[in-house]
Amino acid sequence: MPEIIVDNLTHTFGKGEPGALTVLDKINLTFESGSFNSIIGTSGCGKSTLLKMMAGLFTPSDGQMTLDGEVIEATDRRRGMVFQQDAVFPWMTVAKNISYGPRLRGASRSEQSEVEAKWTEMVGLKGFEDRWPRELSGGMRKRVDIGRVYANDPDVLLMDEPFGALDAQTKERMQSDLLKTWQKTKKTVVFVTHDIEEAIFLSDKIIVLSSRPGRVHHIEEVSLPRPRNDEMRLTEEFLAIKRRLWGMLDH
Amino acid sequence: MAVIDTLRSRRLWLGALSIATVFAVYIWITNQPDNNPALLPPISDILASFKTNLTSGSLLTALGASLFRIAMGFFIGTTLALIVGCLVGWYKTVEYLLDPLIEALRPIPPLAYIPIIIIWFGIGEFSRVLIITIACFMVCVVNVIAGMKNVPQVYVDAASTMGASRFQVFRTVAVPAATPFIITGYRIALAAAWTTLVASELLAAQNGLGFLLQEGRRYFLTDQVMMIIVIIGGCAFIMDRVFRKIQAHLMQWSEARE
Repeated sequence: MPEIIVDNLTHTFGKGEPGALTVLDKINLTFESGSFNSIIGTSGCGKSTLLKMMAGLFTPSDGQMTLDGEVIEATDRRRGMVFQQDAVFPWMTVAKNISYGPRLRGASRSEQSEVEAKWTEMVGLKGFEDRWPRELSGGMRKRVDIGRVYANDPDVLLMDEPFGALDAQTKERMQSDLLKTWQKTKKTVVFVTHDIEEAIFLSDKIIVLSSRPGRVHHIEEVSLPRPRNDEMRLTEEFLAIKRRLWGMLDH
Repeated sequence: MAVIDTLRSRRLWLGALSIATVFAVYIWITNQPDNNPALLPPISDILASFKTNLTSGSLLTALGASLFRIAMGFFIGTTLALIVGCLVGWYKTVEYLLDPLIEALRPIPPLAYIPIIIIWFGIGEFSRVLIITIACFMVCVVNVIAGMKNVPQVYVDAASTMGASRFQVFRTVAVPAATPFIITGYRIALAAAWTTLVASELLAAQNGLGFLLQEGRRYFLTDQVMMIIVIIGGCAFIMDRVFRKIQAHLMQWSEARE
């Protein structure tokens, strides 16, 4: 089963040079297969750096990460990533964006259509297949992004503040929809955010990183029942976790 | 739509107005009693020259010869620019190898090569096409490189994390993302082709539009010179319009389509 282990990972920008900056310090973490995990911390705690390393976009200066015992060294379709910025290809229609991954591996025209139909529906973009990304709102483009990564069928989903640029209402709807999709596919998710409420609503486990250098400060197990709904955001249990984490992020 | 339509019609209207104004001023000047028609020939003389050259066939021969040179130089120059520019812009090794060379050659005006080209290859057709090719290549390659270097990193990262190989990223992300720059490079190359064409024909040609210009100067046929200038302007204008149509079609996806 796809399980990620972060083993004594340290990362220093400009290692060995004057002014070297250690952003992550001896991180040890385990992400269980099929679980939803969030990493929170104030800006500059290295949470995005950690996620990009999990994707294989760059290598840590010390320590390693493994997926199912295999060391993560380069990018791989098994670890899909949704970025903070808009990464939808503007020169492809919604449908072509969705089927980009399968097309890379030479999927036939009919396989592509199948994937396009399935995932435009799943992310709520039915009827927008032939639109250009420039014709969509920010929230819809994020849906394309998420659909495209899901359609590529990775084992692990890495999400780097994907809803950071959206307005509050769109954000809450996107969170509910993401959980629905996750519930259906049960992929391991690692979700980076600085929004405490978002982390609690989505996750089984929340990792709190301290700032400069980033260290694992606390791990919070969230035992709110699933499927989750918006009313839970106001329960005692939810608010208790929120208060606890709030205090940690404050210093 | 109504707003766009009014904008478009206003644009056409104002464009036509500026051209009409130039014509009107020209006609007014040439109608002055003290105008010297040998220096500023009236429109009727220019039209007469057009008719003579058209019926004698010399205009069409010249136009054909010039268009052929433009087409060859433009096609070879931009194709090479596309290949070299993509490689330089995408592969670091090629960049380190070729970028200093391109930067060193870039400020040299293509016409500066004319003497050495004549010494090496004579004054034949090959030399003329070569000059245009160099001009098109130099202006185009710079744009292609810029386009490849401006590919947003997040697109590259997105494609790689979906399993794209380095070459697949190049083919499916870098090239399409760079199209706006590449098309601009092609358009500038077309303009460069026209400017160097006339220069190369002024120096050494037995036919072509530049040759007719030279002939007009030699025999003091100002009306012919004026006529050729208008023809060159018109041809370059039409070609640029066609190019813009192609651009608009290829750039349907872009926010900035004009």
